[in-house]
Amino acid sequence: MCTITKEDVFAAVSTVIDPEVGFNLVEMGLIYDAIIEESCNIKVIMTLSTRGCPLHQMITQWVREAVEKLEGVDVVEVEVVWEPAWNISMADDNVKDALNG
Amino acid sequence: MFSVSKDYAPPFAMVSPFFWIGSLFYLLGTVFLLFLNPDAGHFDMAIVGWAHWFLLGFMMMIIFGAMAQLVPVVVEVGHFSVDLYYVIWPLLLSGTIVMSMGFWFMPLILPYGGLIVLIAMIIFLFDTLMTLRKVTNITLTVKTVVASNLFLLTGIVIGFVMSLAVGSGLEVDIGRWLGLHAVMVLGGYVTLTIMGLSLILLPMFGLSHGFDETPINRAFKFMVTAVILHFVSTIIAWDFGQFAAIFMMFISVSLYLYQVFIIYKTRARKENDVWAKSMFFGYGSLLVALILGVVYTLFGGENILMSASWFLIMGFFSFLINGHLYKIIPFLVWFERYSPLVGKEKVPMLNEMLPHRMAHYEFIFSATGVAVAGIGILIGSGDLFKGGTIFVITGAGFMLGSVKWMLRYGK
Repeated sequence: MCTITKEDVFAAVSTVIDPEVGFNLVEMGLIYDAIIEESCNIKVIMTLSTRGCPLHQMITQWVREAVEKLEGVDVVEVEVVWEPAWNISMADDNVKDALNG
Repeated sequence: MFSVSKDYAPPFAMVSPFFWIGSLFYLLGTVFLLFLNPDAGHFDMAIVGWAHWFLLGFMMMIIFGAMAQLVPVVVEVGHFSVDLYYVIWPLLLSGTIVMSMGFWFMPLILPYGGLIVLIAMIIFLFDTLMTLRKVTNITLTVKTVVASNLFLLTGIVIGFVMSLAVGSGLEVDIGRWLGLHAVMVLGGYVTLTIMGLSLILLPMFGLSHGFDETPINRAFKFMVTAVILHFVSTIIAWDFGQFAAIFMMFISVSLYLYQVFIIYKTRARKENDVWAKSMFFGYGSLLVALILGVVYTLFGGENILMSASWFLIMGFFSFLINGHLYKIIPFLVWFERYSPLVGKEKVPMLNEMLPHRMAHYEFIFSATGVAVAGIGILIGSGDLFKGGTIFVITGAGFMLGSVKWMLRYGK
């Protein structure tokens, strides 16, 4: 029985910061879901703020590494999806306020 | 699924010379403005020499350096052979110097400079077109990149033939072909490329989403059709065709400006940093150049043509390019020096890798200078032009300082 929760995964991913905007991926609203299997295999479903993001591969690698630090985790997979497309309404209020200048 | 891996991103040592050289040519190019007389007209050899110094040594140099990074982002496949960029900048550098010296002092060496530049561009086009052969998702943007690169090839071949005419006495009607050379290179390549890249970069940096792309798609089609029409019209000496082509380009630029406005209205990131300010001034200059261009086409006037060219080159092209350097260089430096440290130690944000004060001064001096000198050209005031040029030179000095600061960050 895996004791890792979705909240644990989101907390781990919140240590990953987008260097361009300076916010973490969770508060940006880029992390859509985390599927945790009984065996503690974890699949993170996320998106990026733009399809042509030059950091695409690195960001997914950082997410994987952040989740792998959780105790008891087995295999971590990160899937980037484009539907639904990200928009600013998905971000936390503090991000919206900061971006509004 | 697409991603830019380490293999796709160009080595920092490969692309940094493009930015160093480009910024140095920009500064020297602005200094050379002091020795030009804008009333001399667009056939004056001093002005033509300056135009090649600036357009090849600054604009093309930085566009090519940026393309080493951006081609994979735009067309979503890796370079055919990114190592070719190691030979592009030395060839473009030496060819540009020889060409400019040819225009200014020794017409005999002009064809040699033209040949070196031609080789540099053919290598660039070879890599780009071979890269495009790997693309499976043929979007309108990809088609436009293909068209713009073919226009560049045609434009530089025409330019090389004209260099033979000036330097070796080859019998060519330069008056007839100069317009086509400018249309192919500036309209067919530079403008189309900037349109395509900005469709990617403006939403990326402004966090714009869900906007209508109809205007830019129409702008692409109008520009491609206009450049082809201008080419055919020049070949068959059809004046009305050339006139119609120029107006189609005006329509294309108008649609493009409307698209930029749509992206601006839908942006989530409203911070007015030096990049955003540069974009505001650049697009404002494009609007001024567009209005002056329409007035010149309808009523004539060398001063109007020269001031339209000034706002297009020094206002639009320069601010778009310099503004994006504040985004591209910190990213490349960060990617090279800090991305391996993520998760291991604290790394800087990209915003911290900007020389904010120096960049602010660069913007203020450059924008003031471009506006003042442009008005000077328009009303025929040499003093105003020279005064504005001093501001532009000061801005260019701050730009070179900013580039140096960014490239050396964390070293």
